Amino acid sequence: MEDFFTNNSVCVSVEAPAENLVQEIAYDGQEVFQLPLTLSENLTKQAHKIDWIKREDDDNDDDTHSATVTTEKKVEEDSKKADFQTSSWPWDSVRNKLRSALTEVCVLADVLVIAKDKRYMVLDPVQQEQPDQRQLAQLFSKKRGLTAAANILLHGAERLKISQSDTARAKSNQDFHLELLRLRQSWTLKKIGNSILGDLSYKSAGSRFYQTGIFEVTKSEDPDQELSLETTSENQSKQSMIKVTIPPELGGTAYIQVTIQKDQDILCTTNVNLLHTSLIHSDPSRDANPWTSKLEAAQNVLFCKELFSQLAREAVQLQAAIPHMVVGNQITASLFPGIQLSIHFQSSYSAGVDKRQLVSNNSTSLVAKVDHNYILEHSLHQLLRQVHLNNVGQPVPHPSSAPLGPTKRRRLAGPHAYDRDELLLMTKNESILEQIIRQGQHVVLRLRTMFVIDSIAREIRDPLIISHWNVLNSPTLSCVKIIIMTHGYDTLQRTALVVHVGEKTLKCVCRDGRVLQMSYEPQELRDLILCQISQHQINAVQSLARFLGWHVASSSAHLGLGPVEPLGNASSCILSSPSGNRILSVRCGPQAAQPQVYLSTYPRHDTEKNKVLTDIRWEQLNTRYEEVRLEKIEGRNFLSRMELLMASLTCRLPMNWE
Amino acid sequence: MGVIVLQLFAVPEGKSGPQVIDILTKRVTSLGGVLSGSFMVDCETYTSVASLGATRSVHLLHNSETPASVFALLEAASGNKTVALVADNLFDLLMLKLSNFYQAKKQTKIESRGPRFEAGDFLVKLGSVTMGPTFKGILVEVEYQACSLPAACWDLIREFMQGFLGGCVPSTPPQYIQNRFGDMLGPIDGINQYLEQFNAFRKTTGIR
Amino acid sequence: MAGNQNPISAIDMLTSALRSNIIPNQEYLLQGSVIDSSAEVLHNRLRGLCDAAETGPETFHDHEMCFSLKASSPGGTPQQQQSFLLRVRRALDHPEYPWQLRYLGQPELGEKNQPTVLRSCIDIACTPNVVEFLSELGCRIEFEYVLKGYLFRKGRMKVTMSKIFRMGQAKSPDSLEAMTGSYLVELSLLAPSGQDAVADEIKVFAEQLRPLVHLEKIDYRRLQSYS
Repeated sequence: MEDFFTNNSVCVSVEAPAENLVQEIAYDGQEVFQLPLTLSENLTKQAHKIDWIKREDDDNDDDTHSATVTTEKKVEEDSKKADFQTSSWPWDSVRNKLRSALTEVCVLADVLVIAKDKRYMVLDPVQQEQPDQRQLAQLFSKKRGLTAAANILLHGAERLKISQSDTARAKSNQDFHLELLRLRQSWTLKKIGNSILGDLSYKSAGSRFYQTGIFEVTKSEDPDQELSLETTSENQSKQSMIKVTIPPELGGTAYIQVTIQKDQDILCTTNVNLLHTSLIHSDPSRDANPWTSKLEAAQNVLFCKELFSQLAREAVQLQAAIPHMVVGNQITASLFPGIQLSIHFQSSYSAGVDKRQLVSNNSTSLVAKVDHNYILEHSLHQLLRQVHLNNVGQPVPHPSSAPLGPTKRRRLAGPHAYDRDELLLMTKNESILEQIIRQGQHVVLRLRTMFVIDSIAREIRDPLIISHWNVLNSPTLSCVKIIIMTHGYDTLQRTALVVHVGEKTLKCVCRDGRVLQMSYEPQELRDLILCQISQHQINAVQSLARFLGWHVASSSAHLGLGPVEPLGNASSCILSSPSGNRILSVRCGPQAAQPQVYLSTYPRHDTEKNKVLTDIRWEQLNTRYEEVRLEKIEGRNFLSRMELLMASLTCRLPMNWE
Repeated sequence: MGVIVLQLFAVPEGKSGPQVIDILTKRVTSLGGVLSGSFMVDCETYTSVASLGATRSVHLLHNSETPASVFALLEAASGNKTVALVADNLFDLLMLKLSNFYQAKKQTKIESRGPRFEAGDFLVKLGSVTMGPTFKGILVEVEYQACSLPAACWDLIREFMQGFLGGCVPSTPPQYIQNRFGDMLGPIDGINQYLEQFNAFRKTTGIR
Repeated sequence: MAGNQNPISAIDMLTSALRSNIIPNQEYLLQGSVIDSSAEVLHNRLRGLCDAAETGPETFHDHEMCFSLKASSPGGTPQQQQSFLLRVRRALDHPEYPWQLRYLGQPELGEKNQPTVLRSCIDIACTPNVVEFLSELGCRIEFEYVLKGYLFRKGRMKVTMSKIFRMGQAKSPDSLEAMTGSYLVELSLLAPSGQDAVADEIKVFAEQLRPLVHLEKIDYRRLQSYS
């Protein structure tokens, strides 16, 4: 109604609301409306509400009060209708009401006019008293607000008190900031907004793995922890002010297990784990900083994940004769026929059951556990780190204006006119999987070589077989020196040969300078060593004979006589005593356990005196060769028996020689 | 890099270039040569514009055997001196930038392309030389990869070449090789021989 | 490089490479200088910011010669008379590396909001007879100098801090005489054309060096008009 005072031109319309009354609200919320009134019903209803006090002809008196125009119009309308139906009785009350309403409107108009002139009357706002109930409610809400604020303050005060008492009590290493500083010394930290984020990935070292290693550093303020801290003061040193939150996918421990298996037997296992078992078993309380182990474990998981994904990618890409298989968390590649290299990714987080199963598998093959091989483990590390290093360590251009990127060889390629082969060679890049396969092949081959040499050394006691493995070797090449000699006669004769163990082949350098290439089949090396042993025996017996004054009548390394050896050739020599009346024939074949020795002497014992050939020279004809039963002769080994034999044969001069 | 000897093989009367290449291919294959792709050597010559004073020309050669290199052979204004620069591929780009000073002669782009064979230490390339669209002749390149000293392997090369080229191979080495008989040869020497031959091809009309 | 394919002519290969914009022939460049006494601070800052911090910065010692090719005849058009500059650089400390022949186009300063100078650039490694080649080609040596300094990498960016020395009369690299008492600092990135986004990368890096050295777009034409 205030508009009424300010401006006359504003119209205030009083109308019935457009919508109908709600009759019923259904359970689903739907509203059922009352049917709208018909025009006549509406008119009656409206008319009954009006007080017809004023007459029709009085209407136009207050022209200036346009604010009432709408009402008046309505009144007019209604009054017209009322006039139209004056005779009807039921409208009488309506007329009366209209009349009284008109009176009141007129009074109101008059009052308003007077009030507007402000000459006779001033309208003043009336101070209304607030109801008591509302005051109560306000008080209540105020009280509630204050309590909440007080709670916040109290909580803050509590935290302050805790931290204050903590700093007061704790030693310098308990300080959050000091520890943060210590953390910062070994880990990358960054402050973003209100949170401190760290990065444990190998990105700065050249890794291009997609997974990020973001961890969050917060201040640990668990009240329970504080309580336990107070109760057990000895635990105090364990508590760290820093809480490190690592992403869930990097939780737990992970390692990569490399196994080389022949069908089902595990030849060699390797567990790649940056922290080895020390991490799993070590007591975190011993560590000065508990977060170190946590972060290192997460970093290890990340490293293993990267390594495995790299290997898996390469396994799929590589075109091998026998395709590499990638199934789940396992990569299988074939090293030699029947021998496989399998690489497992083991994570305590995902496959706890699997791991236990595997452990039980391993425990069945105890040898494998004992033969824990660090080489593959180490080289898997090295290989990935080499990849990282190559990513980071780009060659530096010289002169400085030259573009970044190309390697030194590539830079030289243009001016030095490298040909196609050299350029192709430059682009060749061996993958980690290829390298680990080569190393795995070498491991298998080395184990086989060791086994062959050891088993021969065990089988054959005479002569002695000594193998000397070089300590220094490369991941794909090692070297063994095999010395064959007889105990007690090692200065007399030593046969040495060197075996280079490669990836798929063996190279054997014999004493006489011959170089033999052998395949990965162990039998070949075995045969070679057996041949060398037989030749060693013959050579040694010759040296011994010369030493004892005997003559070497003949010797042959490849004897064409006698039973055919299944492999290689037998070697032999014929020795005659200083006086010439005793002849020893020694034959040694690669397959024979012991050399065979035959003796022939003159004069002949069987025919005492030949009646026809009386000349003494006919007595010098040798008798038939008879085998010497060496095992009956005293002596530790073949050479000592031979020495005894030769010595005994030397001293016994023929009876009728003088 | 070995010793490269470039030999012109005269196209006999009544035979076309591809026919001769076919015949030579058969001979090389029967000598144990294994086809291993194809090769191409091309040469483009740029001459200096008049405003640069005395006329010089730069021959730009590419060899598919050395795909990372460009050979720029500059014939100096002073006389017979030739400076041979070996550079990265991008040298071509620089030559385009120099177009205000050095311009390519029209219709003088000459190239030799054909099959490439490997026979032990020998590399044999049978090239048909074309200048623009016209066939100009046949150049046979033989490289002995195991040695860089012509004095040490000329006889071997000669024997090998006579084996499939016949009498057209002289018993004395070509002049270029003879001048460097005791030197170590490299890729640039092959290129120089190509340039010599290409220049001869340009001077003659018709098929050599 | 595949042996069995028909070799494509080198020119065709080059034009196709040019068309597909894989040849890095645009250099984005910012330059500045730092006085000798503050060089160590900048050096330390760069060591911290750049890659391969553990191996330390690489030093270099280069000799650069600048050649120009001019058409002498007066009848040429103005464009032909414009001199054509070529630079030859060699590493004095690494004689086994090839010499670099370098063509640099006119630096474009561009709009004020363009963060770096942009110039076309062709780097060609070549044999050491390039000097003889260029002089026979008709080039004249304009000037030469020796650069000594440190080189840093940050991703694809190259940062050099170098001291410029005058070539002594003896023309031997030993008789060195420093031109100024400050280091030239250059921040450059070589990219194929059309990769203008890298300019912002350079700008961001330059901002990180801001308190120590102001790396700016240097307008050579204006510098020349001053002198």
